Amino acid sequence: MGWCSGLNSCASLFVPFVSLSPFNPFSKEMFGLIGHSPSLERTHEIARELGLPECADRDLEFWCSAPPQAVDTVRVKSATGQEIEGQYIDSGFLPEMLTNNRGKTAVRKVLNAMAHAQKLGLSVTALGGFSSIVFENFNLSQTRLVRNVELDFARFTTGNTHTAYIICRQVEEMAKRLNLELSRATVAVCGATGDIGSAVCQWLNARTNIQDLLLIARQEDRLQALRDDLGRGKILSLEESLPLADIIVWVASMPKGVEIDPAMLKKPCLIIDGGYPKNMGTKIQAPGVHVLSGGIVEHTLDIDSRIMRAIGMVNPKRHIFACFGESMLLEFEKWYTNFSWNRNQITIEKMLQIGEASIKHGFKPLLLDPVG
Amino acid sequence: MPQLEAPAAIDYQSETYKDAYSRINAIVIEGEDEAASNYVRLAELMPTHAEELADLAKMEARHKKGFTACGKNLNVTPDMDFAKKFFSDLHGNFQVAAAGGNIVTCLLIQALIIEAFAISAYNVYIPHADDFARKITESVVKDEYLHLNFGEQWLKANFESAKAELERANRENLAIVWRMLDEVAADALVLGMEKEALMEDFTIAYQEALQNIGFTTRETLRMLTAGLAAAAA
Repeated sequence: MGWCSGLNSCASLFVPFVSLSPFNPFSKEMFGLIGHSPSLERTHEIARELGLPECADRDLEFWCSAPPQAVDTVRVKSATGQEIEGQYIDSGFLPEMLTNNRGKTAVRKVLNAMAHAQKLGLSVTALGGFSSIVFENFNLSQTRLVRNVELDFARFTTGNTHTAYIICRQVEEMAKRLNLELSRATVAVCGATGDIGSAVCQWLNARTNIQDLLLIARQEDRLQALRDDLGRGKILSLEESLPLADIIVWVASMPKGVEIDPAMLKKPCLIIDGGYPKNMGTKIQAPGVHVLSGGIVEHTLDIDSRIMRAIGMVNPKRHIFACFGESMLLEFEKWYTNFSWNRNQITIEKMLQIGEASIKHGFKPLLLDPVG
Repeated sequence: MPQLEAPAAIDYQSETYKDAYSRINAIVIEGEDEAASNYVRLAELMPTHAEELADLAKMEARHKKGFTACGKNLNVTPDMDFAKKFFSDLHGNFQVAAAGGNIVTCLLIQALIIEAFAISAYNVYIPHADDFARKITESVVKDEYLHLNFGEQWLKANFESAKAELERANRENLAIVWRMLDEVAADALVLGMEKEALMEDFTIAYQEALQNIGFTTRETLRMLTAGLAAAAA
């Protein structure tokens, strides 16, 4: 018996499985993006921006029982001239569900959104924001059946390979811009044992000549395993590591943000805020501290969508989350596979592969508007 | 990141469980009985589909027997008076529509609302059911998807002429469903079924049916919230 009430996780053996939409409204392959509002407060603006006033001014209880919705069509043109379309599905998840101990609700939101994407027949769908974190944290790969839909995990990607690649490129490029020599730099990775964090550590270890690597995470056993795997790195607490770091890669995702006192940071200091939600730019403002939104790509051409504006992207026509970018790249390249799946499976080869596709189709790491 | 609490083990023989089950089981039995009668009535109103509708009615009657056995298995006497009252508003609206020959309203009530309600309730119930009831409910839910499909197909084929009546019937009847969910929430929770999961599953099934018929996402959102607003009024 599953703990995910409402999800017929183990008992649908007699129900006819639906792997594709019985009402597929699309005449061509489309990629998918599963996302959510960064906060309850933001849902009001997002609903209005998307022309859904019915969903504005609703409380947390409403969202806890709201179904997933395909609310936006996203059109992207590659630098090669190729054009593709996708659907943005709002799962109805809110970070407040985690802070209010509504884990079961969060699980239902993610699985229902995935079932919805599959029923719409979307080719490959990225799990954006907290979706992949909820999926991984609550071990949802054990839940293959959502009502009469047998989830086909080959149709989903966390997008973490592209995100990790972009964050690493942001470190490299921003270091140049700030005249931070990597060979003399100490890099702290907060959330080092996570899927993205461990990939970033691997890349920094193998493809850069950084002087020191500080590993920060909550689980000691995983940290030890990571250090053994890398053959280097110092395991420190957050408080110990922050004053030592020239570059901080923040890839821990927490429903509540953390407070960092800028006085304890080195100057200059580069912070790549690759966690979710991104709010360090507004929280940390001090001379010599440069905060850059991590895991964001800038596209060479305008992206036709309303959702990026709605969720508050600074340049919504050009900027998107790299994880969403990954499903676009998989669609461009017709790599219909769960390119990023399961924890700590990202390799440098896969980062290079998705990175090559990223460059080919006109995506580049966000560098131009560091905050702070 | 919060951890999920392991579900509390359900004692199917406890007085608390059996008390709640006496009402939920009765609702399910009454719901299936109501559905069988409604399909018989629809067969009279839609003679060209009479055979198919008669088959659906027979299926619902079989479901009623199955759920009656579930109650007996737990030595529970279903509270049928409660169940009849529970369905009385939807029952009344169906009868009025049928008397007026309003097939669209009848289909919305039975083939969309009641079927989506049943599908969501059964799907949410199955992981928490006792072994006997689980097997029966699993086979029933498979049939209910077919019934939802019948209504969808007919309404899709007649969408343009049916649209306005569907919107009106939705407004009048969806509010009743939200009230019904409220009425049963405490008993459902004893059986392991959370109200928000029931609401979400119902909304998914119902909205999907409306979209299959021809409504756009925006139209269905308006229809769902119209029902909510009417329930709050």
